[in-house]
Amino acid sequence: MQIEVKVENDILVIVIEGSIDSKTASEVQQKILESIQDNINVIMDLSKVDFVSSAGLRVLLMVYRAIKSKDGKVVLAGVSEEITDVMSITGFINFFEISETIDSAHKLF
Amino acid sequence: MGSQIHTYTFNASLEVLEEIRNLISQKGNEHGYSKKEIYNLTLAVDEIATNIINHGYIEKGIKKGTFNMLIELHEKQLIVRLVDGAVPYNPIDQNLPSEELLNTPLEDRPIGGLGIMIAKQSVDEFKYEFIEGKNNNIFVVNKK
Repeated sequence: MQIEVKVENDILVIVIEGSIDSKTASEVQQKILESIQDNINVIMDLSKVDFVSSAGLRVLLMVYRAIKSKDGKVVLAGVSEEITDVMSITGFINFFEISETIDSAHKLF
Repeated sequence: MGSQIHTYTFNASLEVLEEIRNLISQKGNEHGYSKKEIYNLTLAVDEIATNIINHGYIEKGIKKGTFNMLIELHEKQLIVRLVDGAVPYNPIDQNLPSEELLNTPLEDRPIGGLGIMIAKQSVDEFKYEFIEGKNNNIFVVNKK
């Protein structure tokens, strides 16, 4: 599991690679929350994420809360069909803005 | 083709989740199940294996626990069975998150409680049996 963080057009872009399961979730969450700091606009690039369990959904929930509390915005980019399915089952899909690519995600800000 | 049964033993540690998913993916691929069927099966098993490891062993202070996984390949079904000797626990009996909860804004949601619901919805059949003192969590995928 790897996380890369960069700033593009004043938007924090967090690229996650690998699986977010109950083993990796706490590390992913900690790294993301540390990287957010004062940023209020965040894109999470999930195009290289091959697996998300409910532990991974909890990470998305914590990021959403952190950003929402600052009146910011988080967009998920490159979400696979499988991850979209689990977000649908759990109702998470209704609360996130989802974009096919990083480029189209930028246009949502 | 006769049925094949593969048996594996794992330490009760979250470290083993990736290997569990890989083994299921490999067998599913070899036997012609679709990418989506395989992903959903790995998701269901991952959720329940996580519960077994965390609640059955780690939270109980059992350090050297192990559990088994059986992958059964039948003519028209792929069945994964998790067998553990931790405290009896029937996930089917647990209350699932309500529709109201699932529509609750994420700011106000309690954390957790989604794993069993995801497991139930991700396979054709999710069953629990208590056999010879052991929890059996059974995941069935039918060949389409």
